[in-house]
Amino acid sequence: MKEYRFEEISLGLSESFQVEITREMMDKFRDISGDVNPLHNDTEFAKARGYEDRVVYGMLIASQISTLGGVYLPGKYCLIHGVEIDFARPVYIGDKLTISGTVKEIHESVRRLTIKFVIRNQTGKTVSKGILKAGCML
Amino acid sequence: MSREEVFERLHEIFWDVFDDEDIRLTDATTSDDIEDWDSLEHINLVVEIENQFGMKFTMGEVHEMKNVGEMVDIIIERATK
Repeated sequence: MKEYRFEEISLGLSESFQVEITREMMDKFRDISGDVNPLHNDTEFAKARGYEDRVVYGMLIASQISTLGGVYLPGKYCLIHGVEIDFARPVYIGDKLTISGTVKEIHESVRRLTIKFVIRNQTGKTVSKGILKAGCML
Repeated sequence: MSREEVFERLHEIFWDVFDDEDIRLTDATTSDDIEDWDSLEHINLVVEIENQFGMKFTMGEVHEMKNVGEMVDIIIERATK
């Protein structure tokens, strides 16, 4: 886990990590969220609507932004204030995602960081992007 | 930058941050006067003011702002430095 302190953070500081989306993650997310929508749970339903397979929950992908802030940037002393996220392309089970974040704004007066993030799949296509607003407690 | 200009721009920022165009600011307005003005929205407000006015406050200045009037004073002071 990264342990950036506020004064150690500069504009342009970047961190990234990778994660593979598994069937088990989908099952756990369905159980936790209660979202039983067939687009995420029924392959035939999803294919009938033009997708390759059932589509990974957008909010499961968004959960990786919790990891980006809480584990990587700034890491241990993170307090997430808000997230804005767009889902640009579908993600499927087995996709290997790279989550990258870069510090775009530093507001020392309120110890707030604005971090732009992008999530790409194994082919390099952007599947998601957005902004993480996070405090750094130390 | 005149006090009126600062108030005008602050109104736009407050309306956007609190999603409420009924907000009317005076020198005496405090967080007690705006229902959603909590600690997180205070951070959002300061960040938006810094971005919109192109200035950065110090931590001390933010703590010293007791009401909107003092906020305006600091903005004008920073703008003329």
